[in-house]
Amino acid sequence: MSHAIGALAIVAAAGWLAAAGVAGLGAMRRPGLRVGALLSGAGGAAAATCGVLLAVHGGGTTVQLGAGPVGGAVFEIEPLAAPFILLLGLVAVAIALYAPRYHEPGQGTALYLAVYNLALLASLAVLAAGNVVTFLVAWESMALFCYLLILRHHRRAGVAQGAFLFVALSEIGFLMIVLAFAILVTQTGTLDLATIAERSAHVHAGWRSAAYALALCGFGFKAGLVPFHIWLPAAHPVAPADGSAFLSGLIIKLGVYGIALFGFTLLPGGPGWWGLLTMGLGAISAVLGILYALMERDLKRFLAYSSIENIGIIVTALGAGMTFTAYGQRAIGAFLLIVALYHSINHGTYKTLLFLEAGVIEHAAGTRDLDRLGGLIRRLPRTAVICLIGTVAIAALPPLNGFVSEWMLFQGLFQGFRISSHLVGILIVIAGALIALTGGLAINAFARAYGIPFLGMPRSGPAAGASEFRQPVAGPALLAGACVFLGIGAPLVLTALDRVARSATGLDIRSELLVPKLTVIPAHTDFSGFSPTYLALFMVAITAVPILIFLAGRPLARSRRPPVWDGGILSFKPRMQYTATTHANPVRVTFEPLYRPSVHVERASDDPAGRSGPVHYRFQVTPIFDRYLYRPLTRFVRALAEFARPIQSGDVNLYLFYVFVVVLIAYAVYAT
Amino acid sequence: MAFWFYRGVRKGIATTRYPKTVDPWTRGLPGPPAFHSSRLTTAVADLLTRGCPAGALAREDRELVVDLGRCTGCGRCLVLGERAVVRSGEFLLATSDRAALTKRVPIRGDREAFDGG
Amino acid sequence: MAVDERDRELDGLSAELRKRALALFGRSLHIRTVDTGSCAVCESEIRLLAAPHYDLHRLGFFFTPAPRHADLLMVTGPAVRAADNLLLKTYDATPDPKAVIAVGACALGGIYLEDSLVHGAIDRVLPVDVFVPGCPPSPLALLQGLLVAVGRLEERVRALSLDLDAGRAG
Repeated sequence: MSHAIGALAIVAAAGWLAAAGVAGLGAMRRPGLRVGALLSGAGGAAAATCGVLLAVHGGGTTVQLGAGPVGGAVFEIEPLAAPFILLLGLVAVAIALYAPRYHEPGQGTALYLAVYNLALLASLAVLAAGNVVTFLVAWESMALFCYLLILRHHRRAGVAQGAFLFVALSEIGFLMIVLAFAILVTQTGTLDLATIAERSAHVHAGWRSAAYALALCGFGFKAGLVPFHIWLPAAHPVAPADGSAFLSGLIIKLGVYGIALFGFTLLPGGPGWWGLLTMGLGAISAVLGILYALMERDLKRFLAYSSIENIGIIVTALGAGMTFTAYGQRAIGAFLLIVALYHSINHGTYKTLLFLEAGVIEHAAGTRDLDRLGGLIRRLPRTAVICLIGTVAIAALPPLNGFVSEWMLFQGLFQGFRISSHLVGILIVIAGALIALTGGLAINAFARAYGIPFLGMPRSGPAAGASEFRQPVAGPALLAGACVFLGIGAPLVLTALDRVARSATGLDIRSELLVPKLTVIPAHTDFSGFSPTYLALFMVAITAVPILIFLAGRPLARSRRPPVWDGGILSFKPRMQYTATTHANPVRVTFEPLYRPSVHVERASDDPAGRSGPVHYRFQVTPIFDRYLYRPLTRFVRALAEFARPIQSGDVNLYLFYVFVVVLIAYAVYAT
Repeated sequence: MAFWFYRGVRKGIATTRYPKTVDPWTRGLPGPPAFHSSRLTTAVADLLTRGCPAGALAREDRELVVDLGRCTGCGRCLVLGERAVVRSGEFLLATSDRAALTKRVPIRGDREAFDGG
Repeated sequence: MAVDERDRELDGLSAELRKRALALFGRSLHIRTVDTGSCAVCESEIRLLAAPHYDLHRLGFFFTPAPRHADLLMVTGPAVRAADNLLLKTYDATPDPKAVIAVGACALGGIYLEDSLVHGAIDRVLPVDVFVPGCPPSPLALLQGLLVAVGRLEERVRALSLDLDAGRAG
């Protein structure tokens, strides 16, 4: 079995490498584009199968290439990476189905697809890395390839800036990750991850905490935790739709993988404050993410902020899991780890779906601006259905996968009373309350994000002319099916994840996770339980019965259809509808102290008699983190650079003097 | 809060008892005119016809036709008609028959003048 | 279809039938006001009906914004032609049996004569059941109109004479 896992991983890697080559050389023409996508999809299928087998089997495998710690690469595929490998495969297959119809064949597309497949390869390498050097090299390659990915349309406005923010924050994060690994490597004396995990218990507690804190921040940059998140809303809108889907669906999960790696594998058994810090960051990210999402008019920026929100939820689950484990509730700790992994897969699935559909909408209607869309449900019917499934999933409505994972998270958080420390229990309750707030706001946000573009009347000409002809459907449809399966088939998925958690925490909670009759329970039989499968069946039945009654009774009940009472107006105009801006107004007004908006109103004249004429209203949310955190930091760094500038005066004589001084010092040091 | 309750109780019920009784202050409400037909001359009738802004008064041969539906209670006819026109004090004028709102007042003032009054 | 024919029958209910139907509403009547271009003073008086001094709720009358819930339409204004669509849609949306009260001098044909902008009187557009003159009619006059419409009060104007010298020999 482990041979199969290793072989599948190699097949996936080879597939993506081949796809990169084929696409890079051949995607100037449509057949080349299709073959490249086919290879990419084949690689994805192999990766997905590898992930599933890994989760089901529960044991890892090792692949070694080359020689020596620096000259070669060591891959160790551990079960903790299984959900992420599965997600990688699924995303790759979906995007492979989507790309041929989305991209136009050409030079730019060829380069883009080559880079994308290399990014897939690099992500697999990160997940499969068994050795610190492999990990770091794979991580940097992944970041580099994603940077190139974002730069696809580099001549358009905002692209260069978004890509720059991505790479800048990625590098800061990378620095912190390198430091974290450096601490561990120097303290344990080995580069091999498995050995570090074994020896980390003997490392001094201060070093362990420093390593974990650095890892949390470093991986937090990639994951998009607040306050490390500002690259997400800048980079996602400007990348092509499948690039944004890849970023949001997979790359930010690599940040989560990193935090889980440090928290559960490399440095297990940390003190409670690690978990509380992680949980706190996660909860704040969740709330702030959805609050900023509600103010967005650009569909892709909205989805980017929603990704921040969901990452917050995942990291909250991780942090709470670590807290419960630290305070002795190991079963709930393992349960919450399972929740985090499950929600990662779920979010990857539906966020990828939504980004892909955002791309379809952008191509069909010509705009991403919610206030210019409308009525797409008639013009893009299949897209509307698929998007609805994705929206119901992400809004955590039953019976889909988002509901199951958020239910499980809440059930885990509600058991904070089992911890003996009251303070910690209260903090967990506060985190639960924040997550509940985000759940409510998320429903509002996604009702807006689905209702405004799809329902009602088109708010602009291009939206009225949208057409589904030749738009990609298969990729998003696959993901929609996956959402449904992950929700209804949750017992199956959770069984597999339990094996993953067993290898990570050493605890098998199968009997405390699933009871017979397909019911999920949160690690304790006396707390609560529900069955996603039966719930789904019940919901189908409860919807079918009234429909059947209606259909059966239709010939008997005579009815007539008078015109609907519409208030007596002559006709409906698109401008009579809600816009995205007004839909979110209650939230805007309530949270105004957070948004600190700058509002600018311009009218023809302030004299009441001269007031007829257009009124211009501009509302802008103040970017707090940009202005109050990053700008002062960059100013400080520039000040330092200015201070150090005289060293590089450009004068050759001064440089020769430096060389002379260094030689003197070297002579003095080595001569003694 | 209690203060307003007691104040209200002390002042009593302010609601009108209509339709059992009609409030006495309504006698001063503006409404259609009433005529002294014995003082109404043809000349005055013509003056009133020209002067009514709502078109409620019209002289038809020896009768002044008053359309109560059209009357706005402006009071111009009271000024123009002097002794012949007074306030009627009527304001409860609802009906299901539009024609019932058309009243005819005979012009008898001319005959008096003829009789040498 | 048979259903449409029955509809047309109901639309053509005779005045007598309508009166008897309205008598059923004598204890609880829902009123919907329609403004076809009035100066809004009639609306002020109508609004006063719900105030504590006149209190039409004690008589069983209620205002409703939805014509689908209404039994009676209280129409003000001189039936401006631009409001035709509105007036007819509201009338069609009100289910049978229904009644129409025309309120105010404008609605009864005063001030505004028929021309290209106005019909002049409501009864040129809709069948009107009760006419309430006044400019504006006082809330008591409105109450009288409502009670006459549901048959709880007798009309007074039929017996009214404007000739104060009527009994004298002339």
